[in-house]
Amino acid sequence: MGAALLGALGLATVHLALYRSEPWTPVAAGALALGGFLVVHGALCAMRSEADPLLLPIAAGLSAVSLVMIYRVRPEYLLRQAAWVALGLAALLVVLGTLGDLRWVRRYAYLCAAAGMALLALTVTLGLERNGARQWLPLGPLTLEPGEVVKLLLVAFFAGVLDDTYRLLTLPGPRRWRAELARLGPMLAVCLFALLLLVFQRDLGLALLYYGVFLAMLYVATGRLDYVGVGLAAFAAGAALCYHLFAHVRVRVDVWLDPWADPSGRGYQIVQGLYSLASGGVLGAGLGAGHPELVPAAHTDMIFPTIGEELGAVGTFCTVALYLLFVGRMFRVATRSRGTLEVLVAAGLAASLGLQAFIILGGSTRLIPLTGIPAPFLTYGGSAAMTNFAALGLLLAISSRGPAGGTPPAAAVRHGAAGR
Amino acid sequence: MAPRVANLGRLLAGLLVVLVVYLAGVQVIWGPQLADQAGNPRLALAAERVRWGRILDRRLGVLADSQELGGRQVRRYPFGDLFAHVLGYRSPRYGLAGVEARYDPALLGLPARDPWEALQQAFGGPPRGNDLVLTVDTAVQQAAARALAGRRGAIVVLDPRTGAVLGLVSRPSFDPAAVDARWDAIARDPSSPLLDRATQGQYPPGSSFKPIVLAAALASGRATSDTVLDCPAETTVAGAVIGNFDHERYGRLTLRQAFAVSCNTAFVQLGGMLGADAIVRMARAFGLGRPPQFDLPTAAGFVPAARSLGPRGTAQISFGQGSLLVTPLQMALVAATIANHGVMMRPFLLSQVRGPDGRILSAYAQRGSREVLPAALAAQIAQDMVDVVRSGTGTAAQIPGVPVAGKTGTAQNPHGPTHAWFIAFAPADRPSVAAAVLMENAGAGGAIAAPAARQVIAAALAAQQAEGRP
Repeated sequence: MGAALLGALGLATVHLALYRSEPWTPVAAGALALGGFLVVHGALCAMRSEADPLLLPIAAGLSAVSLVMIYRVRPEYLLRQAAWVALGLAALLVVLGTLGDLRWVRRYAYLCAAAGMALLALTVTLGLERNGARQWLPLGPLTLEPGEVVKLLLVAFFAGVLDDTYRLLTLPGPRRWRAELARLGPMLAVCLFALLLLVFQRDLGLALLYYGVFLAMLYVATGRLDYVGVGLAAFAAGAALCYHLFAHVRVRVDVWLDPWADPSGRGYQIVQGLYSLASGGVLGAGLGAGHPELVPAAHTDMIFPTIGEELGAVGTFCTVALYLLFVGRMFRVATRSRGTLEVLVAAGLAASLGLQAFIILGGSTRLIPLTGIPAPFLTYGGSAAMTNFAALGLLLAISSRGPAGGTPPAAAVRHGAAGR
Repeated sequence: MAPRVANLGRLLAGLLVVLVVYLAGVQVIWGPQLADQAGNPRLALAAERVRWGRILDRRLGVLADSQELGGRQVRRYPFGDLFAHVLGYRSPRYGLAGVEARYDPALLGLPARDPWEALQQAFGGPPRGNDLVLTVDTAVQQAAARALAGRRGAIVVLDPRTGAVLGLVSRPSFDPAAVDARWDAIARDPSSPLLDRATQGQYPPGSSFKPIVLAAALASGRATSDTVLDCPAETTVAGAVIGNFDHERYGRLTLRQAFAVSCNTAFVQLGGMLGADAIVRMARAFGLGRPPQFDLPTAAGFVPAARSLGPRGTAQISFGQGSLLVTPLQMALVAATIANHGVMMRPFLLSQVRGPDGRILSAYAQRGSREVLPAALAAQIAQDMVDVVRSGTGTAAQIPGVPVAGKTGTAQNPHGPTHAWFIAFAPADRPSVAAAVLMENAGAGGAIAAPAARQVIAAALAAQQAEGRP
């Protein structure tokens, strides 16, 4: 409720400040989309009263910030993004209604993996190149960003396979490496395949995200720190290898270490992003009073520094706080859900959305090297909106199946502190 | 499984907390510093929003102002190339120079860091920057430009009592408004119109350096104005033959007479009596070899270390040659110091900053001073400089009814004919104007530079009389 109101107010502010002579239609559409959250929230409360009551409002808050900033930076995109939010909400309801019973995950795990890998392979061969990365598939009048969809498919695949194998991987007694490796084999193969494709198509952020989600789910399922250790070591070795093999990886890292070495060339985007952030100060320049036109990709990869410039540290802190809350609620759903499969899916989704937010927010502010992936619910883009709302639908479905039957895994769940 | 899920949640939450801490650093703690870096394009955009302040001469005549032209702000310079090296230019492509660069924050009305002031600016329409009132006098500047008569060179005119710069001209010049349109032609011109010869042109001083040698001699106690010296047509020091201008010979002269006729051979003899150290120390006391503190960038010139000078080097600096290099501004300061009883006033250009409403925000009558010589010694040198104009090499600088003190210089240089120098001040009994004239490769100081100095000093005195404070 508050989020929708605030968002509508923000849109109105931007409109009055910048586009006074233009028609109000996009603003109305944006407000309508935000109103959609109210409707869906009402429906949820009525029909699935056990569902987590905070996830959707937090997503509404992030979407409100997103629509306001997109209207501010690229007014011509507001209408489209509002439509995507509305469609996303519809997708959420559909997922909630049809995919809530997670048995399909177990049954179609390998199909998910195959579909995901096929999508990635298609992107590499047929994809459109933008900003030096091949990340989009033409789909009629639209373009699909398969990376986002594959993210969900991979979570489903890992969850399905791990649900099947985690018992064997956690047997007490001496380790049987060969058997374990055979069990892990399919996941490792899929991971390796995806990473190779992504590194070649220069989509490093996505590679990092997929690998991080894999390690996170492996840890959740097995608790085997030796896997995590080996995984992290392999990551370090792979990263070092890529740094030496691929010029585009080297450029990313060098620009991160010293963007001022080439501030008008390679370091341009990150330097402009830093100026943008720094110029915002505590309170920001005010909506419409900053200069996001100076920052390349201010409505996608660099939307967060733009928030920093116009809404100041207050704005960035609130945005990160929303993500913190969101991550907390998602993990709470994961710790409280009933079966192993539910726990794995919920934890996988939580890890993927949380890690994704950190990778792009940290990247656009030079905390870590910049690699372009969408910030969940914040960045302009249809594929990301649809996927994230679908993920949200799954999480809501899992949470609405209620805490705690008497099955063994769920007994352990009770002890988990709600993730913060 | 649940505790592990919680652990994972904590890890991700921790990452986001790290992000918040980092953001606090970038936005709040180092934010202002980072945002103020010259590379931040927002600074230039802020400059575009502000209506730049005007630059006025000492009688509040407009030297530079801004006009709206097609939604853009265009800088106008009503006097064209006359004040180019003083005002500089303001170009989106080539940056800022001169007073425009030095006082850019004041012209923009910055800083408005105070939130309340920033709020007022936000609601007060396009903010206007402050006006600058300079010490220069357009009449003096015009006279100086006329006196240079199309030659390469520079003229600096000071009020010796305060250090105020009344005129500062360097030729050839350029139109500051045409910098964007004609940059290549201006920058590639072999006569270097962008170089401010007044503050950054470095030349051998020739005989205009002799007042400093005279000061060293009188201060040392080893000579007085009546000390008798030999003035043959030429003399040989350590194998080098040194001659007088036009091979003049005067036989035996007092120091005062040798100074008036600018006898090189007599000064070589005097230099030998003093030693290099005394001359070099006096030159440094007058600020030579160091860049003067000023509103515009200045060059240091060059004064050799005394240790490095043998008998031949000592002989050469005794009449202002050798490796010595000076700027016209430095020589104007030498004249002004002798005029002002041995006290050097720091030269300055900015006399007032006025708010957009005309309110005076800051005003400067002077910017500091330094004693170079005892007053009695300065008076003695001034008297000898009066003789130069009355009966010596500088008679072309005479102004009817006004006693003028001066010294000619005709500086040999590796670039062709001699540079013509004249340094002077007037009225000699109560000096209110001091000047240095340099004309590159123009010939003899007495014939070429002294008449130019006369025109400029006469114009400056007339301007001061008109202003009501002679």
